Order: sequence, then C-alpha cells, then structure tokens
Amino acid sequence: MTWETFHHEAMATDFAIYIAGHPADYARQAATACWRELDRLENELSRFLPTSDISRINRLARGETTVIGEDVLQCLILAANVTIATHHAFDPAYASQHASTEPEPAVPFTLDPDTHTLTSQVQKLHLDLGAIGKGYALDVLAQTLADWQITTACLQSGGSTALILDAPEGWAGWTIGVGDDDNRREVTLTRAALSGSGVAVKGQHVRDPRTRQAAPRQSRVWALAETAALSDALSTAFFVLSDDEVAAFCEAHPDVGAAISRPGKPLAVHGSLHRYLAP
Amino acid sequence: MSDTSLKSSVLTRRDFIATGAKLSAAVLAAPYIMRGQAATRGDAINVALIGCGEQGRVLLNAAIKIPNLRFRAVCDIWPYNRTYGERLLKKFGHDVRPFEDYREMLSAVPDIDAVIVATPDFVHAEHTNAALRAGKHVYCEKLMAHTVEAARSMVLTARETGKLLQIGHQRRSNPRYLHAKEKLIKDARLLGRITNASGQWNRAVSDDLGAPANHVLSEAKLNQYGYANMHEFRNWRWFKRYAGGPISDLGAHQIDIFNWVLGSNPRSIIAGGGADYYTTHEWYDNATAIYEYPTPEGLVRATYGVLTTTSAGGGYHEYFMGDEGALKISENPKYTKLYREARAPEWDQWVEKGLIAKPESGEGAPPPVKAWEKPRAKLSTGPARGSVVDVRETAELSAWDIPVTLDKAIHQPHLENFFDAIRHGTPLNCPAESAFATAVTVLGVNRAIAAQKMLTFAPEDFVV
Repeated sequence: MTWETFHHEAMATDFAIYIAGHPADYARQAATACWRELDRLENELSRFLPTSDISRINRLARGETTVIGEDVLQCLILAANVTIATHHAFDPAYASQHASTEPEPAVPFTLDPDTHTLTSQVQKLHLDLGAIGKGYALDVLAQTLADWQITTACLQSGGSTALILDAPEGWAGWTIGVGDDDNRREVTLTRAALSGSGVAVKGQHVRDPRTRQAAPRQSRVWALAETAALSDALSTAFFVLSDDEVAAFCEAHPDVGAAISRPGKPLAVHGSLHRYLAP
Repeated sequence: MSDTSLKSSVLTRRDFIATGAKLSAAVLAAPYIMRGQAATRGDAINVALIGCGEQGRVLLNAAIKIPNLRFRAVCDIWPYNRTYGERLLKKFGHDVRPFEDYREMLSAVPDIDAVIVATPDFVHAEHTNAALRAGKHVYCEKLMAHTVEAARSMVLTARETGKLLQIGHQRRSNPRYLHAKEKLIKDARLLGRITNASGQWNRAVSDDLGAPANHVLSEAKLNQYGYANMHEFRNWRWFKRYAGGPISDLGAHQIDIFNWVLGSNPRSIIAGGGADYYTTHEWYDNATAIYEYPTPEGLVRATYGVLTTTSAGGGYHEYFMGDEGALKISENPKYTKLYREARAPEWDQWVEKGLIAKPESGEGAPPPVKAWEKPRAKLSTGPARGSVVDVRETAELSAWDIPVTLDKAIHQPHLENFFDAIRHGTPLNCPAESAFATAVTVLGVNRAIAAQKMLTFAPEDFVV
C-alpha cells in the first residue's frame, strides 16, 4: 500500500490527509485546496478567534440575534441533533448561564435557517464546538476532495477522528487502529468515520454537561458513524455515558458503533462496530 | 441546558429510541429552530460580485452577514468559482444570476447598485471602470491596479461618473486600527515623536495551486479573457503581466498603513529583492524596502519586508516607534501591543479613560481560564521588609493592550463603510484618491528593485 501524506496545523491540532491512487503533484494540489478551506473554517468556528462567528455568538446577551455563516449554521444543527439524541451527554452549550431570576429556557439558543441567524435565549451563551468542529471540518474537506475527483482517501484530525472515504483499487479499505496499546485491534473501513476520546493526552478534560463535573470515566471510548462530525460528537458523548447507556444508544441507532476499553479485558464492542470487530 | 432527570437515572434503549431518528436529519434539532426570529429586510442595496475566487469568497462570506444587501448577480470566467458563489448566496435566500462575462452582467441586470470587484489585479481597472461607467458604486480589492496608469484611470473614472470607489485596504475600517490612529497616536500622543516604522509579512512556501481535473478551462477561453493558460490563471500572482508581486499582494496592506498613520507619502525609496527561491515565479519572493516619510514632526524612516518562502514562526504586523512609546499592531489581535518608554509619563490615566488596557486584559489576552484549568496557587514571599529591591532576572518591558475588539470578519467593517457611504453618505475610509497614493508607494518598491538605486517621489506623483 502506498499513499501520499499531507499535514497542516489548524484548530490547535494537526490535520492529515492520506491520498492513494493519484499522482503526487495532483494530490498535493488537492490537499492545498483542503488546507485553505480548513483555515477558512477555523476562522468561522474557533471560539479563540475574536472575529469568528462563535466568538460573536458568545458575546450575545439574552434575546440578541446575530447572522452566522453557512458552516456555523450546519455545524450547530448537527450539534443540536446530537445534544437531543444523547439527552445532553453531548452539549456544546452546557457552560451557558441563565439568569437565576428567570425560568430556564428550553434551549440556550435558537436558529433560523432561513435568515442564517442565531438568537441567544440565555443571559450568557457559551458555545464551544471543540468536540464537533474538527470532525465537521473533515466532512467539509472530503467535499473539497470530491471536487477534485479524489475519493480514495483518509483524513484525520489530531489523531482523534479519522474520516475514511473509498478504498483504493485492490484494497479492502483503510486500516485504522483501535484500542489501547496492550489491547490494540485494527479495523478496515470504507465510507465511515471513527473517533476516540480518552484521558491520556489532555487528562480529565471532558465534562459531563449534565452535571458540569469531570466525567468519571478513565478508559478510552470510540464511536463509529457515517460522518466525522457525528463520530466526533458521539465519542465525547460516549465518554460521558455509562457503558450500559452506550450500549443502549447503539441499539437504538443501528448506524452507530462504539468500543470501550476495559483494563485486562477485550474491548467492549457495540452496534455497527461489531461488523469490524468480531470477538 | 442540562436535563436534570438524567442525573439520577440511567438512559435505556427506550429513551434513545424516543429520539431514534437518523442522527443527521435536522428534524431532531426542532426545539432549536425558530423561524422568523430576525427582522425582515428593509430597503436593500442590490449588489453584484465580479470574481468568485479566493478573495471573492472572503468578501462574499463577510458581505452576506451585512443586513439589507441583496445579491443579484455573480460573475466569474471559471464555472467552478462561479458555482460556489451562486450556491452560497442561494442558501442565504439571494435570487442571484450567474454570469461568465461582466459586460453581459452589467447590461442584463440593470438594477445593480454596487459591484464588488475581486478579480486579479490586471483587470481591476477594466472591471471597475466598466462598472462605474454603468452607474454602479464599486468596492475594488487592493492593490487597486498593477500599474500606476491603470490606477490613475480608476480615480479619473470615479471622478467623472460621480460614483463611489472604495479600495479594499480594510485595516482602515478596523476599529482597533482606528482607535490606535485617532485616540492613541493623534489625541493622547502615546508614542510621542515617531521616528521609525516597520512592517513585515512572511508567508510559507506555497505550491502550484492546480485545478480539479474536471474543471480545467480551455486555452481558447482563457485567452479570451487575457490569460495564457490554466497554470497562469490559477497562479496569476506569480506573473508580472497579471499582478504586482508579493509587495502588492501582502505588502500593500501594511505600506498603506504607513501612509495612513503617518498622514504622509514618502519622499524616497530604496529597495532590494529578487526571485531567489522559486524557479517558477517571475515576481520576487523576497523584497525589502526603506522609505523616508517627511512629517510635520520630522523625518520617519520606514522599513518593510515581505517573504513568500517561510512563515518564520508566523505573524504579520506594523510597528510604529516613538520616543515615548511604540505600537505593534496587526489584524491578528495577539500580535498587537503597546510599549511605554521609561521616559514617558505614566499611562495610568489612559487606562482610567479606557484608551488602553492593562497587560493581558484586552483583545489579545488569552481566553478566560476555567475554574478547573487554573494553576494552583504557589507559595511566595514578598521582598523582605526594608530592602529596596529583590535583584532577579531583568524585568520585561510592560506591554499594554488596546481594549477594542473586532467581533466580525476582518473585511466586514470596510464593506459596511462602503455600503454606509452609499446609503447614508458616510465618508469612505479608503477612497480612490487615497488608495492611488498607496498604489504609487507600493509599486515604487518594484521600480526601486529594478533600478537598483534610491528613487525619489515628488508630491505630485501621489495626486491625480
């Protein structure tokens, strides 16, 4: 197997694109187009850039409205989907604050897709797309590659999300490692996204939005989904949910898979990951 | 919002099935959707965009967030770019028509009020002059043209037609730059007598942009619009017939700020540079210039350097140095700082008046640290009672912040200024006459490099 590899730093991490089946120069040009798109996305999605849509959103007072770009709108609709589907185990607005003198609103913000506007429903809205934005970016970059008629590729952000496109001719798919060092497995995937969440790199950084406390889980979890935005968000939700809840979620959503590392035991596998990780 | 019922109960398959629709379907997000929450559009300005490439997309993505604009047309000779603009605008509800030829667009959509020109430099004058003559106001990207004569023609056409012509030196509308120029340098005189300015922009090596294989234009089509071939069309900034080189692509923004802040045009220039690295570029990849600016307070020497061979750690800024303070300013707030000279009066009064902010408190300050991210307090002891000073490492010079935040895309305020000028008669922040002086200043670098000697400017060189 041979492929061309391209790297770029954005969103405070390293992105990589692996392209097979195309001349190196053409692959490099396509990757360059992707990196330009990625830089544009960062300018819209990052809460660390004061000129971004997200920074502007986070300055809104209750009832204030702002116009947002197409990518922020789509990313927030996806985020809202996952928030509801996971019963707030994933919630990019969990740190928002509402006035104690007023009843808690049903949602912290509302979106108007017709006018591309967001209205804050809380006193201090705090949106952080850190657990979905990088995955969303990979999905957008895959569209850029498609413009270049490149579908035999794999993209990854920060080593925590991989978006796998088509298998190059003669390959079964792209092989991705899952599991801890002493319990590592490999999955060969096409047209899927796999994300992991754990405590090894950033420590106990994942908060349970429902309790605002650090999630108690010490083991790694992985989520398999159709898109990188979904797998990115779900891996964070799975880190927060209990093992039984992760299993229940995968039962209810057959397109989704999960894996959970367990010290001294094989990976616990749920949902669609069973297809790739047979016991 | 937190769901308190979840804190004490375990979610089951039944709970998740209640929301078990396909996760990517927007129906799940229904509670977050509230249509009709924004005010309806009032009296709109009809807008067209010529050039939907990289810079056109930047301007488009900024302009679509400005209220009461109605995009009516997009124009680009490359369908790949044109389709991007058309699709994006339709998602925002704009009924927009696509065109390959700007002439057809100007005649087929007569109710256009304003045109944004974001094409390669060598056609700025052609597109701008045609739009002005068709009775449109024009916002044209910088550098206004790749030759002084083309730039002059734009000033004359704007003057003849009486239409507005704003050039895209967008820093002039950035509230942080405006605050620095008007409040800090002019009113409070925090820098004292400015003696020197410098600026730099370093950009990493970039490759041939190429094009998607199924979107390559025919050479006949490219020739029709003045391009030799697809390679030159995609990499037009490398070639002298289309552009002014990196000093125009990058340096123009910052050299414009020299002229704008100093309120002066240079009297001389000396420069060096060359295509030292790339074998595929006609234009220089490394250029350095020294200007002399006569100002009422005395001479200011200004150096400027641009590189397209290294990012050198990143960063781009302008630096104004005076005998009482220095201002380092950039579009990126993290590169913006004020420094006070020890001989200058204390700056506390300016903090109290809100003109400057104490270190680490302004726009460039790091994001707020969450409670669990805060470092634990360390034990420390102050100076022993009676000692004059604890002798340690050399203290850092105090760096002060500017308490002004730009909370939108960096091009948006400049576009807003343009549309405010159309709607309310607000003065343009970069009218054609002023941008012409900048073009003369910037293109002087290329002339000086070619001449290999100091060149002088006469005051009338900057006037049309």
